[in-house]
Amino acid sequence: MSSEETRKDRQSDSRGEERPLDRERKVAEALAAYVDRHAGEETVDIDEFCKARPELEEELRPLLESLNAMDGSSFPFQPGPEGEPGEKLPERLSGHKILGQIGAGGMGRVLLGYDDRLGRKVAIKILNRRYRENEPVRQRFMQEARALAHISHPNIVRIFSLGQPEEAPHFVMELVEGASLVEAGRPLTLRQKAALIQKVALAVDFLHQHQILHRDLKPTNILVSADLEPKILDFGLAQQLESDGRRVTRPGEIMGTPDYFSPEHTVPGSRFDPRSDVFSLGTVLYEVLTGSLPFHAESFAEQVRRIREEVPILPRRRNPDVPGELQDICLKALEKKPENRYASAGEMANDLERYLAGEKVHAVPTAYASLITGKIEQHIQDLEGWRRDEILSQYEFDGFRKSYNRLIEREDAWILEARRLTLPQVTLYLGAWILTVGTALLFLFQFIRLPGKIAVVLVMGVAGLTFWSGQRIWKRGQLRIGIAFLLTFCLLLPIALLLTMIEAHIAAVPSPHKKWELLGNVEEPYRAATNAQLWWAILLTLPACGWLRRFTHSSVFSLMIAVMGVALSLVTLLRLGWLEFAKNDPGWFYFRILPVAAIFFISAFAIERLGFFNDSRYFYPVAVVLTLMALSGLAAEHHPYREWLERNLAWTRGQIEYLFIANAGIYFALQAVCDRFPSAQMRAVAKAFRFVIPGHILTSLFLLWFHAYDRWQDELGDLVRKREARTFEILLPIVACLFIFSSIRKQMKNFFVSGMIFLAIGIITWQVDLFERQSRWPILLLILGSLLMVGATRYSAIKLAVSRLFRGRA
Amino acid sequence: MDFRTSTYDLVERFKRGDAEAFSLVFQKYQRRLAMLVHYKMSPELRSVAEVDDILQEVFLAASRDMNQFTYQSPGSLMAWLSRIADHVIVDAARYQNREKRRAEELLRFRSKSNPEGPEPVDSETPSRLFAREEGVQILLRKLDELPGEYREMILLAKFEGLTTKEISERVGKSRESVALLLHRALKRFRELEARIPSK
Repeated sequence: MSSEETRKDRQSDSRGEERPLDRERKVAEALAAYVDRHAGEETVDIDEFCKARPELEEELRPLLESLNAMDGSSFPFQPGPEGEPGEKLPERLSGHKILGQIGAGGMGRVLLGYDDRLGRKVAIKILNRRYRENEPVRQRFMQEARALAHISHPNIVRIFSLGQPEEAPHFVMELVEGASLVEAGRPLTLRQKAALIQKVALAVDFLHQHQILHRDLKPTNILVSADLEPKILDFGLAQQLESDGRRVTRPGEIMGTPDYFSPEHTVPGSRFDPRSDVFSLGTVLYEVLTGSLPFHAESFAEQVRRIREEVPILPRRRNPDVPGELQDICLKALEKKPENRYASAGEMANDLERYLAGEKVHAVPTAYASLITGKIEQHIQDLEGWRRDEILSQYEFDGFRKSYNRLIEREDAWILEARRLTLPQVTLYLGAWILTVGTALLFLFQFIRLPGKIAVVLVMGVAGLTFWSGQRIWKRGQLRIGIAFLLTFCLLLPIALLLTMIEAHIAAVPSPHKKWELLGNVEEPYRAATNAQLWWAILLTLPACGWLRRFTHSSVFSLMIAVMGVALSLVTLLRLGWLEFAKNDPGWFYFRILPVAAIFFISAFAIERLGFFNDSRYFYPVAVVLTLMALSGLAAEHHPYREWLERNLAWTRGQIEYLFIANAGIYFALQAVCDRFPSAQMRAVAKAFRFVIPGHILTSLFLLWFHAYDRWQDELGDLVRKREARTFEILLPIVACLFIFSSIRKQMKNFFVSGMIFLAIGIITWQVDLFERQSRWPILLLILGSLLMVGATRYSAIKLAVSRLFRGRA
Repeated sequence: MDFRTSTYDLVERFKRGDAEAFSLVFQKYQRRLAMLVHYKMSPELRSVAEVDDILQEVFLAASRDMNQFTYQSPGSLMAWLSRIADHVIVDAARYQNREKRRAEELLRFRSKSNPEGPEPVDSETPSRLFAREEGVQILLRKLDELPGEYREMILLAKFEGLTTKEISERVGKSRESVALLLHRALKRFRELEARIPSK
């Protein structure tokens, strides 16, 4: 509508006569003059202004009046009568003699009072005269007093009395004498500083417990007496959590000090909670430790940006004497997201106490992870560049990335924390382990004095308790301890379920054959369980592990899932009669592991494809181990296999060493296949398969030689036996050399090392047999060794000469 | 002219460390700035943030950075505050957008799952001096009724406190047309006054 109407206005104006337009110009000019003078902050009297332009007054005056009316005389906070600074101090307040003024702020002043009756000095906070008639401000002022009056804590300033309504609004409080925290902290040791902040944190926690947020914690609001007792004061911004929810904004007064603001503090209209005070405490701790502010900047905007976005310079960088534990505590309190901070000031105090007791603190600031991640991501990019430039091999690159990934697994805080073993940590896991073993005993044995039902209740109770406390502790931010509890729960759960099923006769269906049962045939005092019960107990535990993985983001539960998965697969095999095979036909027993291994490979690959790299990396090793187990078992125990070999390849005499060599062939094929997959974890699997090849082949060759030599020694005249022994004797060092050189291609160090070892063994066997008592063999070796070394030194020159030689001939 | 409360004097007093001087600056400019802030805020931002909060932030920034302010002319403090307000508003809008994505994450407070937690703070917005005052509401309604061009003139002249020359530079019109526009804007405002009673 606006532009159209404006146009219409203009049209009507232009259509008007000369005079009105002229007149309008004049009025507009006068108006402009008025506005300009007003912009110069001049107080212009309308009467006088109009008198100077009598011919325009009729039109001008109402316009100017409208303009002035916009100021709104009804606005509640017009500056009151001036002269506040010079305002005389009252003689007495609440019966206290006023001795002078201690301090002044935007809203009130703090006076020094003297109580004649008790003979003590007090501090009296009084509201400035300007605000006395202002009900909301008065209300807020007295609210502060009332909030404080409700609590009594040695480290919080005490309130003695509230002023009477007939006097100027004021309240009488304890007079605190001391220096500000930063000043008082300067000469102290780090331990003393930590102890001081711990006291402050406890006091702040006390406030929070009484539903009061301080919201303006800063060193000048924390005074420290000569005996190092801190005292929190100035609750100018304090807000009772439990009041009617109304906050009274204080006109003209700055809310808090930006230096100690929390990120949420910098957002207009944002919510505050106890963790905002925790942040301010962190800032105070930082300043006390390092002597400088964590987020100070030249301008307010920059400071706000730093508070919201930047990780402060590490305290240890500013003061190398600051121990890592205090740095952890400080950064944990200074986390940007409230949920990453200490959940309460009390927890911060507990961590400080841990530091003072010389224990490991619980704080794990995410700041480190983001610091490390930033640097590492950059470095990984560099590494990728280097690989492209062929400074690094693919294998070196994979290795680096693997170690780096271990460092930056931010979601997996557990691993980060577990990097250092400490006494409390070891004790924690020891306790968890003993608990698990104890529960297992309750399941395994029947007890005369302990009926099964009670055992169920006991085990269920313990499991439930570990779960409940685990998730509580985890939510409170003590991730490492919480996860230990939850992990214990994962171990206790199947046992508890099993015991319940046994007692309630759930899934008590026996297997088709009695022999198939693993725990079904045990006698007293053992407790019998059917395979079906075992199976269900494990199956029902799996979703719990899965949920905990999601809940905690800790990949240690993926490990649990993998382990439970193996257990479940094996019990499935049990239900299919696996146990009988173990006794009658161990070959088939091992053969049946192969499908399980395949399932694990497929699921690991699927999980990896879905992007859960931290989960898949526990499934691959399981699959590899199962494959190796199955194939080795097959080679060692499967009689038909051996018999087939003996029948069809008589020269092998059915020796299992040949089967192991065949296994090595399978591993070679597997590693070649795995290497083609575009995934780092698959490449690691390929490497694992590759890793076992030289051991298989070289050990088998050595054993084959050993057996053949043995047989030949029994009958020295037998040429066939001699030839066989000699073949292996010659083959061993040659194959060893092959391995040594093939280590180059895929950078397999173990190819190199095992090749070297078996080469040495081969050389010795040659000396013993081929060159029996002949010195030319070692001398030949000396010459060969020297030649190789010299050749290696002059490698490129020789290579060039040889290529020239060939070209010359061509 | 009252020298004690002149802007220059107040600024100098504050720079010397007089906290009360700032309080006076705050009072002096609060209402004008509130009006400006109200119209500078986008409707989306207005729905999530209060003018009061923005104001508080503006004055906080001002008190923190006052040392960087140099007094040039009587209007320069207002212009400076207005620039800070622009910055705070942009910043708040950006932050709110980000917050929206993060949604509610204050889990420590009292809820069914956490009955021992403290009561949520600021569940109701604090006393809104600006919004509560009836006079302001009427003024806003009148200003809202004005065509955009007219409203801008009044905002610039009355609330931002610019001279007509500064306005003409700002909007790219001659000083004469600015004066005329302002005149018509006020005339229209008077007409509205008849329709929307002041009290």
